[in-house]
Amino acid sequence: MEPARKETPAHEERQSKPPKKGKRPKRYMSKGMKEGLSGYLFMSPTIFTIGVFVVIPIIYAFYLSLNDVQLLGGIGYEFIGLENYTRTLDDTRAIIALKNTAEYVLIVVPVQTCLALLLAAALNSDIRGKNAFRIIFFLPTVTSSAVLTIIFMWMYNPDGLINSFLSFLSLPTYNWLADPDIALKSIMIMNIWATAPFFMVIYLAAMQDISDSVYEAATIDGANWWQKFIFITVPILKPVTFFVVVMGVIGTFQLFDQSYIFSGGSGGPNNSTLTVVLLIYQYAFKSLDMGYASALAVVLAFIIMIVTIIQKKFFGEEKLHD
Amino acid sequence: MKFNKMLAAVGVTGMLVGTALAGCSSDSSGDGGSSDGEQVTVELAGWGSTPEEKELLNQTLQEFEDAHPNIKVEHEVIADQYMDVMKTRLVGGEAADVFYLDAFEAPGLAKTGVLEPLNDYITDEFDVDDFQDPLLNAFKFDDKQYGFPKDFSTLALFYDKKAFEEAGLEGPPKTWDELREYAEKLTVDEDGDGQPDQYGLGFSSELARQFYKLQPYGANVVNENDEAAFASDHAIDALKPIVDMKQNKIAALPSDVGTDWGGDMFGQGKAAMVIEGNWTVPFLENNFSDKDYATAELPTVNGEKATAAFTVAYVMNKQSEVKDAAWELISYLTGKEGMKTWTSKGLALPTRESVAAELGFDEDPIRKAFVEGASYAQPWQAGPNLPTINNNFNNQFTSALLGDQSLEEALKKAQETANKEIKASN
Repeated sequence: MEPARKETPAHEERQSKPPKKGKRPKRYMSKGMKEGLSGYLFMSPTIFTIGVFVVIPIIYAFYLSLNDVQLLGGIGYEFIGLENYTRTLDDTRAIIALKNTAEYVLIVVPVQTCLALLLAAALNSDIRGKNAFRIIFFLPTVTSSAVLTIIFMWMYNPDGLINSFLSFLSLPTYNWLADPDIALKSIMIMNIWATAPFFMVIYLAAMQDISDSVYEAATIDGANWWQKFIFITVPILKPVTFFVVVMGVIGTFQLFDQSYIFSGGSGGPNNSTLTVVLLIYQYAFKSLDMGYASALAVVLAFIIMIVTIIQKKFFGEEKLHD
Repeated sequence: MKFNKMLAAVGVTGMLVGTALAGCSSDSSGDGGSSDGEQVTVELAGWGSTPEEKELLNQTLQEFEDAHPNIKVEHEVIADQYMDVMKTRLVGGEAADVFYLDAFEAPGLAKTGVLEPLNDYITDEFDVDDFQDPLLNAFKFDDKQYGFPKDFSTLALFYDKKAFEEAGLEGPPKTWDELREYAEKLTVDEDGDGQPDQYGLGFSSELARQFYKLQPYGANVVNENDEAAFASDHAIDALKPIVDMKQNKIAALPSDVGTDWGGDMFGQGKAAMVIEGNWTVPFLENNFSDKDYATAELPTVNGEKATAAFTVAYVMNKQSEVKDAAWELISYLTGKEGMKTWTSKGLALPTRESVAAELGFDEDPIRKAFVEGASYAQPWQAGPNLPTINNNFNNQFTSALLGDQSLEEALKKAQETANKEIKASN
């Protein structure tokens, strides 16, 4: 067979070289193919790793979610169709977990996005020692979340730092860890503090890309700093905001480690820190009910997907520069 | 076509690399069989404990190894989430040959058939009748003995002698009504901010620390179908006093005062009385050695003596490849000799009557209350669904204690949710 006659797939071509106008020489196609192949060869370790540790588990989880899985004392699968999915509708704890998670997302994502934007704007201005501030602000993001949680739990202790500070200011004190009305909010505060700086760095990078001439033009037109921020910075950063919100939503929907450490794995007090992922963990590893746990995981994936699609509609096309 | 072939080749290469990687992780243990004379390794898994307990266990294991030169014991401590780890390992076929099992989890695990029934291993010399029956029966299902209790603890009342003196009280309360009166007198709010600095009673809200009150009132945790059945008027009568005490701020949970558990609460002087087990004794000795306290049997509930017993057994993995050696280990650790070493310091109480008599803990002023409790204690166990029931009870009961809902509502909700979950998972 004549390899030169075969058509190279379109994406192969794009990968190798920018498309050329006019008639291509015969040699070019076989070269493109070769390059494509070597590309795959180089990618094969990654393809393999992602395949084994990501793609296959996803497909397998989907398969498990349609089965009643028996693990202890002889592994057994029994196909039960969508029964695991209908079970979620009747599961009080699943509904509580979903409610907690939704509340968490709705509060944390807007707050951390606004905070990140404001911090970035502050660091983008010409204040003194901004490099030092960048490092200080970024520190929480580099720290392991387990360590952060444990430190915060000490600070949240009824006799801890935060309550001492509040009572020093004659403000009401709270039982941050054990009061069901407060526990989730304690986690929110901690998480906003820890993740906002990460998004701040992304905003900061994008802000430094905005041309000074735009601001100059606005200054000539008589805009003050606030108008410049609202009418220039924020609209230009819209694609970045899309990214920040999407990543924020995905991250917050998957809240697990903090609530796990906070409640010692139980989701208490009174299910107030029970999140969807924590519930999945409980079903998967405490009750060893892999089928139902997988079904919950698939449901969560669908929810995140739908929310992301809605956001995409809301923010329009994502493009940094037109 | 050549392209496809190349692609296939890449794919195959990838797979080969992958297989090689996977090969690294596959089982490479499999230490021989249990044939005579050969060196055999028995794996033993348990949860972490205090340094004193660890030292005692090591001493016991050393004595075992000296007596059985051909058996080597590999002891592994699972630091956190013991049952999650254990179950996952049992599924993966990687679990230890012998491991700890709490009576609370025993019915559920025995039902799955991953445990080796030990009936055929028992010899006359092992003397099964020497064990205290309620504790032995906690690991017996359908006439099969799945494990032997290594030790047990009961709950007793710890009280602060100094606080009692200051409040003008003498001796421990005998009934729950008296306990309430005492707690009122013992609650001290020095700075008058409405939050007592010393509560009368410190207690834990978990079902494990509450269930023993149900029986004297004629209530039960589960019914004959192993479903939750605690939402009865009798159960409300049994649990009402503690809820009232908590809401009147004469009793508190450890988390209310920023402590992890009752022993710490008591040691720090944030509660004048706590209901705790004998594990609290070495804790207080080590951390609050100048604490002047005494112990007493729990106050009577509805006129009846009641307390809880927590027991843990050594069980054998059914998939073990060294079952004979594993039995040697179990029979030594729960045998008269091993148990005597293990319980010699009174960190936990012996489950064998002969060992208990020999060690004479019933003479010890502090440990006496725990030993006395053994005769009427109810083991913390209620069928295979107890973990689910426990979880739901704990959640709802907490909100009843906080006054977010009435006790009746909380119990009803907990029972309904638990039973729904039990039904869905079966």
